[in-house]
Amino acid sequence: MMWKEKYKIGVPLIDQQHEELFNRVSDFIQTVRQEGAWEAKLETIKATMAFMQEYVVVHFDEEEVYQAQINYPDLENHKQAHAKFKEAVNGYVNRLDQEGYSEELMQEFGGKLMAWLIMHVAATDQKIGEYVEAQGGKIE
Amino acid sequence: MKAEYVNSFYQATTDVFQLMLDLQAERGTLKLLEDMVLSKDASVILGVTGDLRGTILFTFPKDMVLEMVKIMSGMEMAEIDSFVSSAIGEVANIIGGNAVTILANHDYTCDIATPQVLIGEYKSLSVGNEKALLLPLITSIGEFEIALFLKEKQ
Repeated sequence: MMWKEKYKIGVPLIDQQHEELFNRVSDFIQTVRQEGAWEAKLETIKATMAFMQEYVVVHFDEEEVYQAQINYPDLENHKQAHAKFKEAVNGYVNRLDQEGYSEELMQEFGGKLMAWLIMHVAATDQKIGEYVEAQGGKIE
Repeated sequence: MKAEYVNSFYQATTDVFQLMLDLQAERGTLKLLEDMVLSKDASVILGVTGDLRGTILFTFPKDMVLEMVKIMSGMEMAEIDSFVSSAIGEVANIIGGNAVTILANHDYTCDIATPQVLIGEYKSLSVGNEKALLLPLITSIGEFEIALFLKEKQ
């Protein structure tokens, strides 16, 4: 399990989505790393990956809507960070499409995805929580 | 080599270790190197371009790499495979990115090239006439080193 309580930012809507996102990525990595024939796992991996890709977009969109609602001062930079994240994920999706869904490339993608997600949630998103707290902690 | 370079990478490393791994990295004694031998199990090489040019090299013992990825993933890692080396390369990349931001505050505009991860390769990196600095860092899960080969653009 990848999720840690310390990743919470104190905004329930975002925290729930983060936890869900971590669980999805964790499941994805576990499936990729499981024992067993690669071909047999491939359909599950592709389906998990498609869902996760969609969930990342939904979550980022909702987070941006929330940030706009609370007049988050760093919204533009945060949007850029989201765009970069999606671009990096899409870069791997394109490579997987072109080079084939090899175990090697999928493991590489899993390692990067985990690091990106932890860094984004443990550092960048914490600033949203800090802002909400500084505003009196009452923004929902 | 100026203190700002070393301090920027040191600060970026301690920040990222704290945020991503819940680990404190304490600074060991800085050493001067003529050249660098990769004697540890896993190394990540980051190329630096811009106002500063050169290479940053992170070297980690195997057990530490496995423990770092275990902390992030919550899963036991038995060996340094593609998943582990990719994750560790990305952590180094994030450190490099943060160091670039800190360096920009000191008026150095730099860029970091895609990290290169070397597993179990023992080789010597020559740095010509330039001296390199070796910064050992101590954490509760092991000791690792950052070697800095940087020079200012003429």
